[in-house]
Amino acid sequence: MRIKKYTEVPSTNALAKKTKPRSWTVIWAEKQTSGYGRKKDYWFSPKGGLYFTIILPKSKIEDLQTLNILAAFITAKVIKESFKLEPFIKLPNDVYVNHRKIAGILTETVIGSDVKFSIMGIGLNTNIEKFPKELENTATSLKIELGRKVDNEKILKQIVTELKEQLKTISE
Amino acid sequence: MKLKLTIQGKEYEIEIEQIDREKTKIKIGDKEFLFEEKKGNKEKTLVPQTSLPKRNFSKKEIKAPIAGTISEIFIKKGDFIKKGTKVILLSAMKMENEIISESEGNVKEIMVKINQKVKEGETLIVLD
Repeated sequence: MRIKKYTEVPSTNALAKKTKPRSWTVIWAEKQTSGYGRKKDYWFSPKGGLYFTIILPKSKIEDLQTLNILAAFITAKVIKESFKLEPFIKLPNDVYVNHRKIAGILTETVIGSDVKFSIMGIGLNTNIEKFPKELENTATSLKIELGRKVDNEKILKQIVTELKEQLKTISE
Repeated sequence: MKLKLTIQGKEYEIEIEQIDREKTKIKIGDKEFLFEEKKGNKEKTLVPQTSLPKRNFSKKEIKAPIAGTISEIFIKKGDFIKKGTKVILLSAMKMENEIISESEGNVKEIMVKINQKVKEGETLIVLD
Protein backbone atom coordinates (compact mmCIF):
# COMPACT_ATOMS: atom_id res chain seq x y z
CA MET A 1 0.00 0.00 0.00
CA ARG A 2 1.50 3.32 -1.08
CA ILE A 3 0.32 6.12 1.16
CA LYS A 4 1.03 9.75 0.36
CA LYS A 5 0.32 11.78 3.45
CA TYR A 6 -0.27 15.52 3.44
CA THR A 7 -0.89 17.90 6.34
CA GLU A 8 -3.36 19.94 4.31
CA VAL A 9 -4.81 19.80 0.80
CA PRO A 10 -7.83 21.45 -0.82
CA SER A 11 -9.36 18.00 -1.48
CA THR A 12 -7.84 14.52 -1.68
CA ASN A 13 -10.13 13.62 -4.61
CA ALA A 14 -9.18 16.80 -6.49
CA LEU A 15 -5.47 16.14 -5.88
CA ALA A 16 -5.86 12.55 -7.10
CA LYS A 17 -7.60 13.70 -10.29
CA LYS A 18 -4.88 16.28 -10.90
CA THR A 19 -1.83 14.09 -10.23
CA LYS A 20 -3.23 10.72 -11.39
CA PRO A 21 -0.90 8.47 -9.37
CA ARG A 22 -0.80 4.74 -10.06
CA SER A 23 -3.52 2.43 -8.80
CA TRP A 24 -3.85 1.60 -5.14
CA THR A 25 -1.96 4.76 -4.18
CA VAL A 26 -3.73 6.35 -1.23
CA ILE A 27 -3.76 10.12 -0.85
CA TRP A 28 -4.33 10.92 2.81
CA ALA A 29 -4.72 14.40 4.26
CA GLU A 30 -4.94 15.49 7.88
CA LYS A 31 -7.13 18.37 6.82
CA GLN A 32 -9.02 19.44 3.68
CA THR A 33 -9.72 23.07 3.00
CA SER A 34 -12.28 22.40 0.23
CA GLY A 35 -13.44 18.86 0.95
CA TYR A 36 -16.48 17.94 -1.09
CA GLY A 37 -19.07 15.24 -1.51
CA ARG A 38 -21.54 14.60 -4.30
CA LYS A 39 -22.70 17.58 -6.33
CA LYS A 40 -19.73 19.41 -4.82
CA ASP A 41 -21.49 19.55 -1.44
CA TYR A 42 -19.12 20.78 1.24
CA TRP A 43 -17.56 18.10 3.47
CA PHE A 44 -16.48 19.40 6.90
CA SER A 45 -12.80 18.38 7.05
CA PRO A 46 -10.92 19.80 10.04
CA LYS A 47 -7.78 18.27 11.55
CA GLY A 48 -8.67 15.12 13.45
CA GLY A 49 -10.89 13.52 10.83
CA LEU A 50 -9.83 10.89 8.33
CA TYR A 51 -9.84 11.96 4.66
CA PHE A 52 -8.35 9.80 1.96
CA THR A 53 -8.66 8.91 -1.71
CA ILE A 54 -7.81 5.56 -3.22
CA ILE A 55 -6.77 5.38 -6.85
CA LEU A 56 -8.64 2.35 -8.14
CA PRO A 57 -7.28 0.02 -10.78
CA LYS A 58 -8.91 -0.01 -14.21
CA SER A 59 -12.16 -1.87 -13.74
CA LYS A 60 -15.43 -2.42 -15.47
CA ILE A 61 -17.99 0.26 -14.67
CA GLU A 62 -20.32 -2.38 -13.15
CA ASP A 63 -17.56 -3.44 -10.78
CA LEU A 64 -17.00 0.16 -9.73
CA GLN A 65 -20.69 0.56 -8.94
CA THR A 66 -20.55 -2.54 -6.77
CA LEU A 67 -17.36 -1.33 -5.13
CA ASN A 68 -18.97 2.00 -4.28
CA ILE A 69 -21.65 0.18 -2.29
CA LEU A 70 -19.13 -2.24 -0.80
CA ALA A 71 -17.03 0.69 0.46
CA ALA A 72 -19.95 1.80 2.64
CA PHE A 73 -20.32 -1.77 3.99
CA ILE A 74 -16.58 -2.02 4.68
CA THR A 75 -16.48 1.34 6.46
CA ALA A 76 -19.49 0.30 8.54
CA LYS A 77 -17.91 -3.08 9.29
CA VAL A 78 -14.71 -1.45 10.55
CA ILE A 79 -16.76 0.88 12.77
CA LYS A 80 -18.82 -2.03 14.13
CA GLU A 81 -16.03 -4.53 14.69
CA SER A 82 -13.34 -2.17 15.95
CA PHE A 83 -15.48 0.06 18.12
CA LYS A 84 -18.60 -1.99 18.90
CA LEU A 85 -20.89 0.72 17.56
CA GLU A 86 -24.06 0.04 15.55
CA PRO A 87 -23.61 1.75 12.19
CA PHE A 88 -26.43 2.18 9.73
CA ILE A 89 -25.76 2.30 5.99
CA LYS A 90 -27.75 4.70 3.91
CA LEU A 91 -27.30 3.13 0.51
CA PRO A 92 -25.31 3.45 -1.50
CA ASN A 93 -22.64 5.56 0.13
CA ASP A 94 -23.27 7.09 3.55
CA VAL A 95 -22.73 5.63 7.00
CA TYR A 96 -24.63 6.78 10.07
CA VAL A 97 -24.23 6.14 13.79
CA ASN A 98 -27.06 7.08 16.15
CA HIS A 99 -28.95 8.72 13.26
CA ARG A 100 -26.06 11.05 12.48
CA LYS A 101 -23.73 10.88 9.51
CA ILE A 102 -20.26 9.61 10.34
CA ALA A 103 -18.84 8.76 6.91
CA GLY A 104 -19.36 9.52 3.24
CA ILE A 105 -17.94 8.02 0.08
CA LEU A 106 -17.51 9.71 -3.27
CA THR A 107 -16.42 7.65 -6.26
CA GLU A 108 -15.48 9.58 -9.37
CA THR A 109 -14.62 8.13 -12.76
CA VAL A 110 -13.51 9.34 -16.16
CA ILE A 111 -15.11 7.31 -18.96
CA GLY A 112 -14.60 7.33 -22.70
CA SER A 113 -15.04 4.09 -24.61
CA ASP A 114 -13.96 2.42 -21.35
CA VAL A 115 -13.10 3.48 -17.80
CA LYS A 116 -9.98 5.65 -18.00
CA PHE A 117 -9.48 6.59 -14.37
CA SER A 118 -11.37 6.05 -11.14
CA ILE A 119 -10.93 7.17 -7.59
CA MET A 120 -12.75 6.62 -4.33
CA GLY A 121 -12.74 9.31 -1.69
CA ILE A 122 -13.70 8.44 1.87
CA GLY A 123 -14.35 10.94 4.61
CA LEU A 124 -14.72 9.48 8.08
CA ASN A 125 -15.38 11.64 11.12
CA THR A 126 -12.92 10.14 13.55
CA ASN A 127 -11.29 12.49 16.06
CA ILE A 128 -13.58 15.47 15.56
CA GLU A 129 -14.66 16.89 18.91
CA LYS A 130 -17.22 19.40 17.79
CA PHE A 131 -19.20 20.22 14.66
CA PRO A 132 -20.37 23.66 13.59
CA LYS A 133 -23.94 24.59 14.52
CA GLU A 134 -25.39 23.71 11.09
CA LEU A 135 -24.05 20.14 11.36
CA GLU A 136 -24.51 19.54 15.10
CA ASN A 137 -27.74 17.61 14.71
CA THR A 138 -26.84 15.71 11.55
CA ALA A 139 -23.18 14.69 12.00
CA THR A 140 -21.24 12.72 14.57
CA SER A 141 -17.72 11.34 15.03
CA LEU A 142 -16.09 8.31 16.59
CA LYS A 143 -14.61 10.60 19.26
CA ILE A 144 -18.06 11.91 20.19
CA GLU A 145 -19.58 8.41 20.22
CA LEU A 146 -16.72 6.68 22.08
CA GLY A 147 -15.37 9.49 24.22
CA ARG A 148 -11.82 8.66 23.16
CA LYS A 149 -9.36 9.12 20.32
CA VAL A 150 -8.95 6.50 17.59
CA ASP A 151 -6.01 5.59 15.36
CA ASN A 152 -6.63 7.12 11.91
CA GLU A 153 -3.83 5.22 10.17
CA LYS A 154 -5.03 1.86 11.46
CA ILE A 155 -8.59 2.54 10.24
CA LEU A 156 -7.34 3.70 6.83
CA LYS A 157 -5.27 0.54 6.36
CA GLN A 158 -8.16 -1.70 7.44
CA ILE A 159 -10.52 -0.11 4.92
CA VAL A 160 -8.06 -0.13 2.00
CA THR A 161 -6.96 -3.74 2.64
CA GLU A 162 -10.55 -4.94 2.72
CA LEU A 163 -11.50 -2.98 -0.41
CA LYS A 164 -8.59 -4.53 -2.28
CA GLU A 165 -9.79 -7.98 -1.29
CA GLN A 166 -13.36 -7.21 -2.35
CA LEU A 167 -12.33 -5.84 -5.74
CA LYS A 168 -10.39 -9.02 -6.39
CA THR A 169 -13.55 -11.02 -5.70
CA ILE A 170 -15.95 -9.00 -7.84
CA SER A 171 -13.53 -8.66 -10.77
CA GLU A 172 -13.04 -12.42 -11.03
CA MET B 1 -14.57 -7.15 -48.18
CA LYS B 2 -16.00 -8.79 -45.09
CA LEU B 3 -16.02 -7.18 -41.65
CA LYS B 4 -17.21 -8.19 -38.22
CA LEU B 5 -18.47 -5.45 -35.91
CA THR B 6 -19.66 -5.70 -32.35
CA ILE B 7 -22.14 -3.00 -31.38
CA GLN B 8 -23.46 -3.05 -27.82
CA GLY B 9 -22.56 -6.69 -27.43
CA LYS B 10 -24.25 -7.80 -30.69
CA GLU B 11 -22.09 -9.06 -33.49
CA TYR B 12 -22.80 -7.95 -37.06
CA GLU B 13 -21.31 -9.43 -40.20
CA ILE B 14 -20.83 -6.77 -42.83
CA GLU B 15 -19.99 -7.46 -46.45
CA ILE B 16 -19.04 -4.61 -48.77
CA GLU B 17 -19.03 -5.28 -52.49
CA GLN B 18 -18.12 -2.80 -55.23
CA ILE B 19 -20.45 -3.76 -58.07
CA ASP B 20 -19.13 -1.18 -60.53
CA ARG B 21 -17.69 2.36 -60.42
CA GLU B 22 -20.99 3.81 -59.23
CA LYS B 23 -22.64 1.08 -57.24
CA THR B 24 -21.69 -0.44 -53.90
CA LYS B 25 -23.60 -3.18 -52.19
CA ILE B 26 -23.43 -3.43 -48.40
CA LYS B 27 -24.82 -6.51 -46.72
CA ILE B 28 -25.46 -6.37 -42.98
CA GLY B 29 -26.53 -9.77 -41.69
CA ASP B 30 -29.20 -10.86 -44.14
CA LYS B 31 -30.15 -7.31 -45.22
CA GLU B 32 -28.73 -5.75 -48.36
CA PHE B 33 -28.33 -2.07 -49.14
CA LEU B 34 -27.35 -0.68 -52.50
CA PHE B 35 -25.53 2.65 -52.66
CA GLU B 36 -25.42 4.44 -55.98
CA GLU B 37 -23.39 7.50 -56.85
CA LYS B 38 -25.26 10.09 -58.88
CA LYS B 39 -23.50 11.24 -61.99
CA GLY B 40 -22.38 14.88 -61.94
CA ASN B 41 -22.16 15.21 -58.17
CA LYS B 42 -20.80 13.23 -55.27
CA GLU B 43 -24.04 12.83 -53.39
CA LYS B 44 -24.77 9.25 -52.44
CA THR B 45 -28.28 7.92 -52.70
CA LEU B 46 -29.51 4.89 -50.94
CA VAL B 47 -31.65 2.40 -52.77
CA PRO B 48 -33.17 0.16 -50.15
CA GLN B 49 -33.34 -3.52 -50.93
CA THR B 50 -35.12 -4.40 -47.72
CA SER B 51 -35.38 -1.58 -45.18
CA LEU B 52 -33.41 1.51 -44.38
CA PRO B 53 -31.20 1.50 -41.32
CA LYS B 54 -32.44 4.08 -38.82
CA ARG B 55 -28.99 5.03 -37.66
CA ASN B 56 -26.53 7.05 -39.67
CA PHE B 57 -23.32 5.10 -39.19
CA SER B 58 -21.07 7.97 -40.25
CA LYS B 59 -22.29 10.20 -37.42
CA LYS B 60 -19.99 10.65 -34.43
CA GLU B 61 -22.03 10.21 -31.30
CA ILE B 62 -21.17 10.20 -27.62
CA LYS B 63 -23.34 7.72 -25.81
CA ALA B 64 -24.11 7.07 -22.15
CA PRO B 65 -21.83 4.24 -20.96
CA ILE B 66 -24.25 3.50 -18.11
CA ALA B 67 -27.74 4.53 -17.10
CA GLY B 68 -27.86 7.60 -14.88
CA THR B 69 -28.80 11.24 -14.50
CA ILE B 70 -27.17 14.16 -16.30
CA SER B 71 -25.66 16.39 -13.60
CA GLU B 72 -23.62 18.80 -15.64
CA ILE B 73 -23.00 19.65 -19.30
CA PHE B 74 -19.56 21.14 -19.90
CA ILE B 75 -19.91 22.04 -23.58
CA LYS B 76 -22.35 23.92 -25.79
CA LYS B 77 -23.65 23.60 -29.32
CA GLY B 78 -21.05 24.72 -31.85
CA ASP B 79 -18.05 24.10 -29.59
CA PHE B 80 -15.09 22.36 -31.14
CA ILE B 81 -14.03 19.49 -28.94
CA LYS B 82 -10.91 17.38 -28.99
CA LYS B 83 -10.42 13.76 -28.03
CA GLY B 84 -10.37 13.60 -24.24
CA THR B 85 -12.52 16.71 -23.68
CA LYS B 86 -14.81 16.41 -20.67
CA VAL B 87 -18.35 16.75 -22.03
CA ILE B 88 -20.88 15.55 -19.46
CA LEU B 89 -21.09 14.63 -15.79
CA LEU B 90 -23.33 11.60 -15.43
CA SER B 91 -24.37 10.52 -11.93
CA ALA B 92 -25.16 6.87 -11.41
CA MET B 93 -25.48 4.96 -8.16
CA LYS B 94 -24.13 8.09 -6.43
CA MET B 95 -20.97 7.80 -8.50
CA GLU B 96 -19.92 10.83 -10.50
CA ASN B 97 -18.80 9.90 -14.00
CA GLU B 98 -17.06 12.37 -16.25
CA ILE B 99 -17.80 11.41 -19.82
CA ILE B 100 -15.03 12.33 -22.22
CA SER B 101 -15.09 12.48 -25.99
CA GLU B 102 -13.24 9.80 -27.92
CA SER B 103 -13.25 11.80 -31.14
CA GLU B 104 -12.92 15.42 -32.21
CA GLY B 105 -15.41 17.61 -33.97
CA ASN B 106 -17.97 20.37 -33.60
CA VAL B 107 -20.88 19.83 -31.26
CA LYS B 108 -23.82 19.52 -33.63
CA GLU B 109 -26.46 18.54 -31.11
CA ILE B 110 -26.75 18.10 -27.35
CA MET B 111 -29.48 15.51 -26.95
CA VAL B 112 -29.90 15.77 -23.16
CA LYS B 113 -30.68 18.29 -20.45
CA ILE B 114 -29.53 18.65 -16.86
CA ASN B 115 -31.39 16.30 -14.47
CA GLN B 116 -32.54 14.13 -17.38
CA LYS B 117 -32.40 10.40 -16.78
CA VAL B 118 -30.69 8.46 -19.55
CA LYS B 119 -30.43 4.79 -20.42
CA GLU B 120 -27.24 2.94 -21.21
CA GLY B 121 -26.35 3.47 -24.87
CA GLU B 122 -28.52 6.55 -25.25
CA THR B 123 -26.99 9.26 -27.45
CA LEU B 124 -25.87 12.28 -25.42
CA ILE B 125 -24.03 14.37 -27.99
CA VAL B 126 -23.76 14.36 -31.76
CA LEU B 127 -20.59 15.69 -33.37
CA ASP B 128 -20.06 16.92 -36.92
